[in-house]
Formats: sequence, C-alpha cells, structure tokens
Amino acid sequence: MRPPQVELDFGTPPGTPPRTSSDFEEVPYPADHHWATAQQQESLPLHYMSEDTATRRRVARGPGSSGGFLSGDEHEGEMQYDDEGKDVYSKSRPAKGRVSSGRIRRPPPPPPTSISEFISQNLEHLPPAIYTLLSCWTRFHKIGHSGVVVWDEAHFGKFGSHYLKREFYFDVHPPLGKMLVGLAGLLAGYDGSFEFKSGAEYSDNVPYVAMRVMMATFGVAMVPLGWYTAVELGLSSWACHLVALMVLCDVAWLCISRFILLDSMLLFFTFTTVFFLTKFHNQQYQSFSFDWWLWLAMTGISIGCVTSVKWIGLFITAVVGLYTIEDLWDKFGDLKMSYRDQIRHWAARVLCLIVLPILVYMMSFKIHFLILNHSGPGDAQMSSLFQAHLVGNDFSRNPLEVAYGSKITLKNMGWGGGLLHSHVQTYPAGSTQQQVTCYHYKDDNNDWVVLPRWDESEYNPNDPLHFLQDGDVIRLQHAATTRNLHSHNVPAPVTKLNNEVSCYGNATIGDYHDYWKVEVVDDIKQGSKDKVDRIHSLTTRLRFRHDTLGCYLRAANSVLPQWGYKQIEVSCDKENNPNDPHTYWNVESHWNDRLPPADTKFFKSPFLRDFWHLNVAMMTSNNALIPDPDKDDILASNPTDWPWMHLGLRMCGWGDHQPKYYLLGTPIIWWGGSASLVVSFIVLGVYLFRHQRKYIDMDSREWDHFLYVGKIAFYGWFLHYAPFFIMGRVTYVHHYLPTLYFSVLMFSHLLDHFIFSSRRWKEKTKKISFGVCAFLIVANFWWFRGLAWGIDGPINEHWGLLWRKSWNIYNA
Amino acid sequence: SFEQALDTPQASAAVVGVLTAAAFALRFYKINQPDQVVFDEVHFGKFASYYISRQYYFDVHPPFAKLLFGLAGWFVGFDGHFTFENIGDSYSDNHVPYVGMRALPAILGSLTIPVVYAIMKETGYSTLIAAFSAIIVLFDNAHVAQSRLILLDATLMFFMSLTIYSYVRFRKLRYWEFSVEWWSWLIATGFFMACTWGSKVNGILTVVTIGVAVLIDLWDILDHKKGHTMELFWKHFMARAIGLIVVPVIIYLSFFYVHFAVLTHSGSGDTFMSPAFQETLIGNELLLNSQELRYYDTVTLMHKDTKVFLHSHVERYPLTYEDGRVSSQGQQVTGYGHEDSNNNWQIIPTKALPETGPGRIVRHEDLIQLLHVNTQSFLLTHDVASPLMPTNQEFTTWPKDNHSRFNDTLFYLNLVDGNEGDAWKSKSSHFRLVHAPTRVSMWTHSKQLPDWAFKQQEINGNKNPTEKSATWFVDSIISQEGGYSLMLDDDELKEPKKMSFFKKFAELQLLMLQHNAGLTASHPYASSPINWPFLLSGISFWTENDTQKQIYLIGNVVGWWTCIISLSIFIGIIGADLLARRRGLTPLTEPTRNRLWNSAGFFVVIWAVHYLPFFVMSRQLFIHHYLPSHIASALVAGAVLSFILSDTVNYPISIAGRSTRRRPEELADLGVQGPVVVGVFAILMFVMFLYMSPLTYGTPGLDGETVNQKRLLSSWTLHFAAKTNAEVIP
Repeated sequence: MRPPQVELDFGTPPGTPPRTSSDFEEVPYPADHHWATAQQQESLPLHYMSEDTATRRRVARGPGSSGGFLSGDEHEGEMQYDDEGKDVYSKSRPAKGRVSSGRIRRPPPPPPTSISEFISQNLEHLPPAIYTLLSCWTRFHKIGHSGVVVWDEAHFGKFGSHYLKREFYFDVHPPLGKMLVGLAGLLAGYDGSFEFKSGAEYSDNVPYVAMRVMMATFGVAMVPLGWYTAVELGLSSWACHLVALMVLCDVAWLCISRFILLDSMLLFFTFTTVFFLTKFHNQQYQSFSFDWWLWLAMTGISIGCVTSVKWIGLFITAVVGLYTIEDLWDKFGDLKMSYRDQIRHWAARVLCLIVLPILVYMMSFKIHFLILNHSGPGDAQMSSLFQAHLVGNDFSRNPLEVAYGSKITLKNMGWGGGLLHSHVQTYPAGSTQQQVTCYHYKDDNNDWVVLPRWDESEYNPNDPLHFLQDGDVIRLQHAATTRNLHSHNVPAPVTKLNNEVSCYGNATIGDYHDYWKVEVVDDIKQGSKDKVDRIHSLTTRLRFRHDTLGCYLRAANSVLPQWGYKQIEVSCDKENNPNDPHTYWNVESHWNDRLPPADTKFFKSPFLRDFWHLNVAMMTSNNALIPDPDKDDILASNPTDWPWMHLGLRMCGWGDHQPKYYLLGTPIIWWGGSASLVVSFIVLGVYLFRHQRKYIDMDSREWDHFLYVGKIAFYGWFLHYAPFFIMGRVTYVHHYLPTLYFSVLMFSHLLDHFIFSSRRWKEKTKKISFGVCAFLIVANFWWFRGLAWGIDGPINEHWGLLWRKSWNIYNA
Repeated sequence: SFEQALDTPQASAAVVGVLTAAAFALRFYKINQPDQVVFDEVHFGKFASYYISRQYYFDVHPPFAKLLFGLAGWFVGFDGHFTFENIGDSYSDNHVPYVGMRALPAILGSLTIPVVYAIMKETGYSTLIAAFSAIIVLFDNAHVAQSRLILLDATLMFFMSLTIYSYVRFRKLRYWEFSVEWWSWLIATGFFMACTWGSKVNGILTVVTIGVAVLIDLWDILDHKKGHTMELFWKHFMARAIGLIVVPVIIYLSFFYVHFAVLTHSGSGDTFMSPAFQETLIGNELLLNSQELRYYDTVTLMHKDTKVFLHSHVERYPLTYEDGRVSSQGQQVTGYGHEDSNNNWQIIPTKALPETGPGRIVRHEDLIQLLHVNTQSFLLTHDVASPLMPTNQEFTTWPKDNHSRFNDTLFYLNLVDGNEGDAWKSKSSHFRLVHAPTRVSMWTHSKQLPDWAFKQQEINGNKNPTEKSATWFVDSIISQEGGYSLMLDDDELKEPKKMSFFKKFAELQLLMLQHNAGLTASHPYASSPINWPFLLSGISFWTENDTQKQIYLIGNVVGWWTCIISLSIFIGIIGADLLARRRGLTPLTEPTRNRLWNSAGFFVVIWAVHYLPFFVMSRQLFIHHYLPSHIASALVAGAVLSFILSDTVNYPISIAGRSTRRRPEELADLGVQGPVVVGVFAILMFVMFLYMSPLTYGTPGLDGETVNQKRLLSSWTLHFAAKTNAEVIP
C-alpha cells in the first residue's frame, strides 16, 4: 500500500497534442503525460507508484494470462478500480475501453468546412505520398534498360505466355501470380508467341517494358504499405519514416520488383496481410463493427492471395494464426463476455481466416482451369480424364475397349502420379536390368503393348479380336525396347521393402516373371467391378498383380536419384492394400488399328478432384527440388547465408557489354535488421529478468505495446526463416525477401523503443539520430543503386562494391 | 489397510526385490543364445576388442560405455583376436567369451528396474504405482532384447534413470539447501549425467533435460516474491554450475583421457584424424613414412577425398565438347586411380636455392612449378572452361622450354592449417595448390571424363581458393635429386610424437559431431520418429535361416500403447485444467494439481526432450532411439494411473526445512481398484511378453504360420512369414 504521507500531483494532461516542427502530428502516448510529470518529481518513490500499476494489471487479466496481444480486454473501461479517484489515466481513456497496444485511437475529425481545413486534416498523408512518388521513380527508372530475358523471367514470362495461348502447363507455384503476369501481357498487347529463353533478346513484339512496369507497380505499393503498417502498429512518426525509407531503399527489394517475376506480388501481398492485420488489431475495441469485419475479411482475402502466389505465403498465414490463437485465448479468459459473443468470435475467425482464404485459393485455380483449356506441356501431370477434355487432345479418339495387341500408356492414379515409363538406362544396383519409372511427360518410352503369355499362342493380328478382361494374365511389352515388364525378388532401389520392377528380355526371351494379372477395381463410368465387362481406356481403374510374387505394381511419390533422372520410382508392393490409389492405373492413350475410335462424349472431371490432384502434383515436384550433391549450383544458397548477406546472386550474364543485375540487399538494412533481432532477444531477457526482480521499467501500456510490435516482427521473421532449415528443397537468396520485412519492422521498433519514443532523450537528440539513420540508409542505397538499375561496362571498373569477400560481384 | 501395509519400507523392499529378481531372470535367460554376432555387436564388440588390442578406432559415440565393454571383455579373458566382422559370425567357433560381455548390459539393464521403481517412490507415488511403472519396463520385449546384447543403450538408460533419480532426491532437499546431503545429490546428478552423455551421443538429451529443470528452478529462486536476495541466487547459481557443469565436464573429459591412454597403437581410426594426431600413434604409417620434401624431388600427388593421382598424358583435349564449348586443345590433365609413371611430378623452385641443407626444403606458401616428368611440361591453368564444368578452369600443361606462359605455371603451396615456415611433408601434409595469377585451387570431383580421356577423372580449377575438398597430399617420393643423404634415422622417427590431451579431445569431439550429422545413408530398418511411440516398426537384429530363428526388436504392445495413451490423457488433463482455470474454475485440489504439473510434468519434459529432437535430425534413426523416452513415458503412465485411480497423493514429499511452513499431510489411497488394476495389468504384460518372446530371445525357431500370428501389426517386417496369397478384392 502506498504510504499516505506522499502527495501526488500529476498536473493536468495537455488538451491538444503538441505539434512538432515536422509536418506530422506527433501523438504522445497517454503514458507520457504521467511519466513526464513523474520525472519532475524526482523525490517520488517510484516503487509505490508501480505497485498500483501492478494491481491494475492483475485485475484486468484473467488468470494465467501472460500479456497477450490483447491483455487489457474490452471491458477494461468498465472495470472499477479501488483507487478510481486517483487514476490519472481515467480522464484520457475513451469511455468504451480500448486495446492497450497498437495505434492510439483518435476520434474522427469533424467534416472539413474549408479547403485549408481539409488539407490540414489530411496532411499526415503527404509523406507517404512523397515516398510513393520516390518509389515510382526508383522502381521504374531505366526499367527497360536490359532488353534480354533476365533470370527467372525465363519461367514466369513463359507461364504468362501460356495463359495468353491458353495451353495447359504445369509449375510448382500456385497460379495467381502467373495469371497476373498473363494479364499484364494481355493489357500490354503481347500475343504470347515469345519463347522466353534465358538470356535471349526480346523481340519487337514483346512489350516487356510495359509488362515489367506492371509488375513493378506491386513493388511501388510496398512503400506506402510499409508506412501505413508502421502507423497502424503505433510506431512514432520518426519510426514510420524509417520503415518507409528502408522499404524504399533496399536494393534487393528494388531489384526483384523490376522484372517479370512473382516476387513483387508475393511481397505485395505479404505487406498487405500485415497491414490488414494491424488494421484489424486497432479495431479490436469495437468487435463486430463494420470496420472490424472489413479488416478481418481483408486479412483473410489477403492470406488467400499471398498463398495463391507462392506457397511461402503460408508462413504469413501462420503469423496471423498465432495472433488469432493468442487473441482468442485472451477472449476465452474473459469471464464477462457472453457465450454468444464467444461463439461469434470463433465463428468470425473461422469464416474470415479459414473459409475465405481457401475460397480465394480455390478460385484462383478455378480461373486457371477455365483459362487453360487447350492441351499443352503440362497435360501429363493431370489425370487422364482431365486431359481428355482439353482442346487439342486426341484421347477421345482412342478406341474404347482394350484388346490384346493394343498399344497403350498407363497412368498411375495416385495423386500426382505419372505414366509408366522405361528407358534403355539400367539400374546401377540391384538386378542392373533396364529401369522402369513413372514419368510426367509424354514420349514414346511410355508406350506398352498388351500381349499374351509366353505359354499361350503368339499374338497374331489376323486372329479374331480378343478383348482384355478382368483376371487375364498378360505380358506388357515396352514398345520402344521390346523388353517385358518384369519383377523379381530384388529390393527396389528406394523403397527397399518392395520388389524391384524392371524391363527384361525382348520379344522372344522372357520368363514367367513377366506375367501380370489384370484386376479391375471399378470403372468411373460403368460403375462397380461386376458391371465392368471389358476394360475401357481412361475410365477403368486397374491394378496389376505380379502373377508369381503376388505383389502389386505401385508408384508412390518417391524420387529416384540422379541416375534415374529424378523420375518416380516404380516398385512391386508385397502388401496388398486394396485401397491404395498408388496401385491404381488407368489406360490413358490407346492405339489399335483394328478398333474404331470411341465416339463417346467424355465425362466431366470434377473440379475438386482436379484441384486436389494438381496441388499434390505441385507438392511432389516441390519436394523433388532437392539440392543435387553431384551438381555444384553456384546460385543456390543456405538459409544461414542470408541474414548477414554472405552471398549475392548474379541475375544475368556478366559480360562487359550488357547491363548486369546483382541481387543483394542494402547492407545497413540487412545487417541492422538481423542485429536488431539478436538485440530484441537480449532486451526481452533483460526486461523479464528485471521484472522477476520487481524492477519496473515500463508501465503496462508500454509493455504491451513493446510486446505487441515485437511479437508481430519476431513471429513474422521466425516463421519466414526457420522453415527453410527443415525444408529439403533448394533455397535461394530471394527466399529471404519476405522475411526481411519483419527484420525491418523489428529494426524500426527497437530504434523507436530506444530512441524516438524513449523518454530519456531530448527532442534534438531524436532529430539528430533520425537524420543520421536516414542519411545512412539513403547513402547506402545510393552506393549500391547500380546493382538494381543495372551496371554497365566491365564490372571490374566499378569500384567499392565488394563489402564482403564472399560476394561474387567482380570477376576474379 | 492393504495399501498402507504395502507402503511400509519392508514391503516396499520386498516388492523391489521381486521386481529386480524378475528383471535379472528375464535378461539373463538364455543369454548365450544366439552364439553369433547380432546387429550392432558388429560395431561395439569390435570396439571392445580394439581396447584390448589397444588399436586406435573412431566412432561417433563417446567412449564410456565402450570402455566398460572393453573392461568386461578383458575381465572375462577376451584377448581381442576376434573382430566381429559380420552379423552371424559364430562366437563359439572363435572362442569368444561373449557371455561375459553380454552380462554387462544385462546387469545394467536389470538394475534399471529398481531405479525406475525408486524414482516413482521418491516422487511420492504409492508402492503399487511405482511397481506399475517398473513393470512396464520390466516386461518390455524391446528393453530385454536391447539389454542382453553388446549394445550401448542399456548403459545409457541405466545412467539416465540414475541421473533422474539423483535429481529428484536433490529437489526434495530444496529446504535443506547447501547441506551435505544436498551437495551429494547435486554432485551425483552431475556425475551420472556425465556417464549418460559419455555412453552415447544421445545422452546429451539427458543433459538438456536437467538443464531445463535447473533453469526453471533458478527462475523461481529469482522471483522477488519468494524474498530471496541476489546473493542467495548467485550462491545457488554457482552451486549448480559446479555440480552440473564443472563436475560432469571433468568426468566426461576423464573418459576421453582413459580412451586416449588405452588406445596408443595405430588402427582403423587413424585416417579420420589429422596428421599431427596420427603421428602420436605407435606404428602409424605417417609416423613411419612421412618425410620433408625438397626441391627437385619427384613425387606423386593424391587427392584426399577421391584418392586419385594427379595424372597427365600426351593426349590432348578435343577442340570442341559435346555442348559446343571450345577447349584450349592442350595436353590433358586428369585424375587417375592407379600407379603409373605418368603420375610423377617434379617440384621446381622459383627462387634461388642453396646447394645443400635445409634451404632446399619446400615450405608453406612457397611459389612452385610442377614438372610432368614423362612429357617434360609444366602444370598450368588458365581462363578456359574445364570440359565438364563451365564455371571452373581447365588444367593442362605447357612445354618446359617455352617460357611464354611462365606466369600461368606458378602455384602457391598452401598447407592446410599451415604456419609460416612449416615444411612440406609427404603423407602428412595436406595442401591446396592455388594458382598464382587466377587464385583458383586445383580440384577434382568424382565425375568421369568421356572416352577421349579414358574415363579418367576431371581435374579443374575451383574458384574458391580455400575449397575444403580441394585438398591433396604427397603420396610417395619417387626419386630424390641433389646433394643430401637419403638415409633416415629409423629409430628416431618411430618414436610417437606427443600432443596435448585437450587438442586431441577437441579434434575428436569435432569429428564426432561432423560424422554423427553425416550418418544419413538409408537403412532398410531405419524408421521415422513418428512411428516409434505406436510401435509401428521394429528392427530385424538377426536371423538364422536353417532353424527359422530371428531376433526382432519390438516393444511390448500392451506397455507401449498404455504409455502413449497415458501421455494423451496427461495432455488432455492439463489442457482441460488450463481451459477451466482460464474460465475461473478450479477442478483440481492444490496437491493433486502440483503433483500433476511438477512431477508428471517433469516426466513429460524428460519424454519430450528425449524424443522431439529426433524430428529435426536428418541422420539415420532407429526405434531403439526411443527407449529412453519410453522409460520416461512409463513414469508418466504411473503418474496418470495414480491420478485416474484416486485424487489423493502422498503429500508433502519434500523434506521440510527448519522454517518450512507445515502443510496438511495426506496419504495416497488407491482403494480396492488399485491392486486389481495393477495386478491385471501385470498379468497382461507378462502374457504379451511371453507371446512375443521368441522374437526377443531369438529362440525357438518359428514356422511361417506362427510368424504370421506374431505379426500383430501389418507394418512389422518379420522374416520367415508364410506366404499369404494376396486376396482378390471382392
């Protein structure tokens, strides 16, 4: 308890916020008033002060709470404190209660009555507007300087072309970003005819400058988003300037936004997600209001967009998820909230953050399928049925019923399965016979001929037709090499518990290990097994059982090493799992001169099935992008190389007469950001340590604010960085770019915490430190600007760029 | 009542006596079966024999448990002649006293049972519950199979459970801080912790567990509300630093000290070590053959990783390669695996040399030329892409008499970890050859050149001058020229050199870490951690075809599933408690809640710390890595059973200090259902154990049908299963 003899006089809080010399409103925290006056009373024993702060904190929280995003719940305003009369905050507190972190809420200004009032009310939007204009300049400056296909433009430009030509293609990334590339091409009047060979010169009919400008527009928008996010986070205006400056001046972000790549869109949607989330957080004081719903829904849509550009977007989804879990946990502890409101809160999150993003994601695939209705290079990734109704595909002219002597291709029906394939190369171990794999592209090595067993009479084209039926024991001959599909008691190369499947013998040599029993599972059109009379191409689902070993032909998604060209392993599964779709096959292409083409109109392939199929195929290919130990990939890098900029990346050829682009950050931003993450840990540790010993460094509002911004930045950074360590796939420097945003936020947050919002420094000190920071950032950017705008002439004539020995900017 | 009667010290001693006797019986039953090398006995038996023959070996695990095996072997008169080469090698035929060696893990494995019992007892559970936890380990097929063979896990688990036991005793004395007993249990914890870590690399997880517990403990002491001063905190901190850091480190180091002291002779592990280390071993090849190199010596150079010689021959590079790139058409320089006179290179100086004496010795960072003896041309590299890798420089040679490209024939000799003035030695000096003008290092990789180079290995210039895999050494000295004596004083050279213990330790420790991470090769019985608690797959340790005998490492289904269900229940209770308290409800009494969070929670931490890290490890993983976690889960199962049967606990259990506030005492009472549940469970466990025992003991042999019956889960891959014809789907 406070000793009664101490008299407290905090003065009255100033009525209007003081204006700084800059054009923006400096909004002090209400806490400042209290501290500013408390500081004057130096003799005041702070220990007692803080104890009643602590009392307040205890009341406001439910048991077990440890300072969540929303500690200090919605009903805080209605709380009755013992010391109500002495509560210095109560006057400045809005009547309805407020969220204790994030942007300070101000009542909306009265409607402007004159132009000058309008201007003064909106003056706060002037700096972001200026930054946006600057950003336009940096992003668009000399954007068409390099007239060749730079780096991954080779991929994404090509995919854009596929949309214009409406040919089905396959890629590991979801379609939204590439559709936007296609849209940019469409708007720019590109006809989709260019091949986008890496390093090739753009021909005259490719409006690559216009396309790049449209992509760079997403990059331009990052700067105002950064600014407003900082505002919404409740950083001081100094710190908002720093965030905007860092986003504006990072060379890596600049460089990656200037080409026809997905990264600018990925970054844009990452930024919008954070922005909407912070917007939403600031609406938490009025649950279920229109604005609350709006920003929650926008967050959901934004999540949907970012994951529809690249799967890396799932990381930002995880940040939103963590925020939401903590938020709901806080609400769960709020004993005053009605059950109805509890349920409404949960339902709102499920609706906006789960259902909505999934709808957006699926929508992008729906549009993808609608646009790409012609046969193209990606056909074989999809199910046979899907392919059948692509324009330009001849499956519908296949003969319907498979007979002996038919030449067929067999498609595995597991998600992402390919075509049964064999080629002259042999297994390096095991039987060392000819390899059998699953392959996702169409070529002649996928063709197999259905033939009778060795002990039956040889197939004769002049004999009466003999249709294939359930239970037939047949031999499958590889058309190109005339070898027979074979399995034996040798462990398969990857799935060692299964038998190896190989190709053995030739048209005349073979043994009983070449026999496969055809077992019908069912038919998509004809129905269950007993209704299936003859085996139909495309629709009948089959299993192949090895006649002597009793094992089943199976292709699950395990990838062979380099000697098998990273194709999918085919093995013979000793376990009989009748429900394992990886043992299901269907006849895809079917050629038989003696049979008439089927005239059936083929059936619809349901969207959900195609959607799921394509996603599994993407996942499989993504996992197959593992670093190849045999290949020295100079472009790939390790996650540990990124925070301290161990490596840069040459984005194009390094000849003397071409503009050269080097993907490398602005060192002060990258290093400062990484250092701030380390510092944030130490600071948090020190604060917790001091808290445990009952030192009071901050009041509860400041503490909540410190934690809230710190958590957003740290969760974001950690969730965008740590997963790369456990991912098996090849990683590149540009994977760090979304991560960088959070280290920038942390950097600004800590600067804000220690300098700009600290009570310790005079206004002048703050101005000077801001000047120094801003100067360093801009100067550092200017020093390295060439990396993003293109370096002309021999690289070694440019001086002073090699700040770390490991960068390969110069030719050795 | 019966309950209280059981909880008397005499009854408790009787129960633990019975359990221990049973443990010994089960683990020693037919311990001589099979009289063949089983599974990893290949490694650990071999290491024991190395200790006896004192030959240096290398392994990823610390030496304590292996030293014990060596000791056991020596004790029973094993002379180290048998080297455990293959699974299935006969012990009887080779007269190996293997039973004595297997007795060591069997004893330690049996003694683990009373320790598990004691942990539960000390943590405040009743005799029945303690027996329940002990029974889960006692009748477990996996524990029995693992501890009756020459494997490290029994030692690991014994010391791990002792560590936990000591720590529990230590914690219970927290109101008697700094008393003699308090110190004894603290230091015992540290000591056993070091033994655990010294047995197997996984033991580090036990260290982490104790670390986590200590940090939580210290954080509490730091709490201002407890009224402790900072001086007291630092005192506590220092005590733990001594007991749990200083003591264990000394013990851990001493294992290595003994290890190095015993292994004084050259052996299979030499090649893993640095040349300086190798020269401390008696009879080491480097020690015997390493010589300083002098200018004009003719030598052969070998690549360290791929073991090929630097080679050149008169054939030239083709003008264009398949991909259309153009070569210099110079003489080919390749890597060749066999001895050949085309591997001979002479070291040519680039500076004036004295006629004789040490001035002629080649030293670190000297600028040299290498002359290919057969074609009389100098090794050269230049800015032309190599045949296979466009990013790397081509290596070729240039005629001796043509001085036009003198600069391109200059190379720096960079000894690995070399200091200025170090001499270049054959065999022992590893070096990189760095091209003076372009700073590329001579490098090769296992890819072969096409037929035009006779499928020899490509040599090229790697742009990274400090590339680790660009390391070479001089394999042999072909001839020596110049005026100095070839005579070497043999006696002087054969004396092993000295190296400080700490340097040796640091080197070995680093290598162990690197190799442990590098154990990624696939293994048919390796399994992913998610399978372990559910017992989805085991390991085939050993088979004998004639008699259809096999040892298959698999746990007792009843016990393992009880454990995993208990863990789930625990998480459920904790979750429910959290949710309830968040809503302002307190369903649990304070003592019950304390017990659940603090003791069962500690067991769960042990379980999690010994289990979860495996998910992020990329090395080969086997189900026996789960066994320490299984012990922890048996402790959890006891705690959970106690919670389910009764809401009473023995309380308080910490020894009250002089000024400790008295708390109301409470005794656990499981009621009638307690003995019934534990009794039925014990019978079930035993029956299941017996049913699976042929797979555990590897005897008797089983016919195919029986094997199919024993295969309780379809994912178990037992041998000799009868062929079932795969059914046609209905």
